[in-house]
Amino acid sequence: MSNKRSFKEHSELFTLGAICILLCLTASLTGCGRAQASRKDIIELSIWSMWSGPEEQNFLRVLRRYEELHPNIHIKNLGAVSDDTKTIRALVAGVPPDLCTLSDASYLGPLARNQAVLSMDKMFQESGLKSADFVPSSLNLCRYKNKLYGLPFLIDDEAMLWNKQAFREAGLDPDRPPKTLEELAEYAVKLTKRDSEGKITRLGLRPPPDYWVLMALFGGRLIDPVTGKITPDDPGNAAGLKWYKGVVDRVGGFSEVNAFASGFGRDASASNPFYTGKVAIMFNGEWNPYWISRYAPQLDYGVAPIPAPAACPQNAGTTWLGGNVFCIPTESRHPKEAWDFLVWAQTEEAQVMFAKDMNNVPNQLSAIRSPKLRTGPPFRAKYSIYLDLADGPKAKFFPALPATNLYSSQMITSVDKIMLGDLTAENALAGVRVRVQKEMDK
Amino acid sequence: MTVFAASDKKTPPADDPHGRMARANRRDTRTGLSFVAPWLVGFLIFTLYPIIASLYYSFCDYRVLSPPHWVGLRNYIDLFTDHDYFLQSLWNTAFMFIELPIGLVLGLAIALLLNQKLKGMAFFRTLYYVPSVVPTVASSILWLWLLNPDYGLVNKSLALLHLPHNFTWLNDRVWAKPGFIVMDLWSVGGGMIIYLASLQGVPQYLYEAADLDGASPWDKLRHVTIPSISPVIFFNLILGVIGTFQYFTQAFVMTGANGSVGGPANSTLFFSLYLYQNAFQYFRMGYACAMAWVLFIFTLIASAVVFKTSAGWVYYEGEK
Repeated sequence: MSNKRSFKEHSELFTLGAICILLCLTASLTGCGRAQASRKDIIELSIWSMWSGPEEQNFLRVLRRYEELHPNIHIKNLGAVSDDTKTIRALVAGVPPDLCTLSDASYLGPLARNQAVLSMDKMFQESGLKSADFVPSSLNLCRYKNKLYGLPFLIDDEAMLWNKQAFREAGLDPDRPPKTLEELAEYAVKLTKRDSEGKITRLGLRPPPDYWVLMALFGGRLIDPVTGKITPDDPGNAAGLKWYKGVVDRVGGFSEVNAFASGFGRDASASNPFYTGKVAIMFNGEWNPYWISRYAPQLDYGVAPIPAPAACPQNAGTTWLGGNVFCIPTESRHPKEAWDFLVWAQTEEAQVMFAKDMNNVPNQLSAIRSPKLRTGPPFRAKYSIYLDLADGPKAKFFPALPATNLYSSQMITSVDKIMLGDLTAENALAGVRVRVQKEMDK
Repeated sequence: MTVFAASDKKTPPADDPHGRMARANRRDTRTGLSFVAPWLVGFLIFTLYPIIASLYYSFCDYRVLSPPHWVGLRNYIDLFTDHDYFLQSLWNTAFMFIELPIGLVLGLAIALLLNQKLKGMAFFRTLYYVPSVVPTVASSILWLWLLNPDYGLVNKSLALLHLPHNFTWLNDRVWAKPGFIVMDLWSVGGGMIIYLASLQGVPQYLYEAADLDGASPWDKLRHVTIPSISPVIFFNLILGVIGTFQYFTQAFVMTGANGSVGGPANSTLFFSLYLYQNAFQYFRMGYACAMAWVLFIFTLIASAVVFKTSAGWVYYEGEK
């Protein structure tokens, strides 16, 4: 009995002691925290960004440089927020980061429409930034109803890449890329190879990542700049899709082409279908020259602007822009500091530093023209073609609208139906207009 | 809480021996409630409140980023007049009901085979059950490779058997849904294991009696086994109906490589997938809530129909 009792007393004492120790520890820890927070000169800026893995490291390097230059700012980065709906939920809940990226710029319209992100026009004017210094479309990409709601930090664009070895095998001149889309269609058919069973082993033209640039090459528009109404059924858009349908039908049809495409390896790897020769021509982004130097250094290839149709030579040099858009949530706790960072991100130093690591296109003209990005490793020569395209006047983009997401997804579905022959291009696109305009008018 | 108030009023006189009992009961109830409180609070906040809120939002135009405003029945009217998408998604989901009887019969057939008393049966049982423990996302990625028209194992195996083997599966709007069905039948082991458990519970004397009456194996299956395990068939059927209405993950993971999720040409845009798109991609939360309620009503009706018919073919032990 007495033994048990003493044990019990002991254990109580022990518990009490443990609690005391824990309390002391907590007190000292919170004390630490308080000591740090009391240094008022340091401001902690929280950023949610889309990059992960090595790309996140590149972004962190940029942030560290900014901290070096601004010792009063400490930046806390949350990486890999590639799902923007996550950010949007935080916005709705009233606990947003101070600054965020949009990995899908089509969310900008809905955010801007509901004033969930700050309008930047006033800050832009006061900061001394000049619109003329930007790649023009890169700023328009961030505009909703002519007001600025974001700033870009590097952009993407598209060009044509062709496999010279495949050209030689098909009896084509490897140093003469197609000059018109009509010619490209002929090439695509000639370059497509089949095995003895009739199965495709090489596709002349890889299914494009999107059809926007094709539509733009035929002069198609997604929106009427005067009325602000959407124009999916613009004759140019239909012409672009019909052109692609023509190519697809001549090499086996949409289902067969997509079935072959579903066997493609990951783009960011040595099994990228263009690097392995499974496709001979593709429309793709500016990161390819660097990737090829890394994953397929032996590949013999060329880069050129995507050719225009013979009937629209004035559209030669058209490219399609995407961008890394940064927004400041309306409830950001440090909007001024967030803005200061964005202004710094426009300096030549920041642009060149990030572009060099990411192999994306800067959105500042001074950086695009900087020799630092055009010299160095041999792949930079082909990368420069992308820089020049973005610098040109014909860089098109998807406009920010209250229903951009719905619009682009309806377009993609209607493309399926057009390619399969369910609907004519005109009918399918007119259907998109009715459905999306109805949503926009709500 | 009103329960306590009512019982307080009825407090019996102090000399009543039952008074102590009532107090003790009350104490027990309180203790019990405090133990279930974590679940109860969780249920009220995270289940009941969202359900009621979704009903309210289904009558609103709710863009997530701006406050909802009441539009009455407009979402529901839009739903049933939006032929291209809503009705297509309904049709896609309805198509998947083909899988239900196939899955039920296949699960039962495998269970019957695995119910034999043979050596190494435990191994085969494990083998057939394992696919149903694989998480759906993992098995979807796996089947993306298996169903690949170019190098997939499914087409290659069909070729080895000299069967038609040029299926384009998920890349073709005709073959996409059958592709999903083939994939789902791979994990039929989940239902199988429940059949197997109930098969072992069928009383042996029924079979002995049937043997005495000279019943053939088919007769025994038809008149002894199936009626005896009918409650389990019923259970699997109900779960299957509900699961089919909610078909989502496989399509979400496996489609969209060549464009938007639910392709090609919306042929795999299942009801739940379209609901998700509306809620989280198009910011049409009110519309999505209306869809969720329509889905709920459909599931309710289908389950009720199954329940109604069950009286005719489900036998419980101890019932006449």
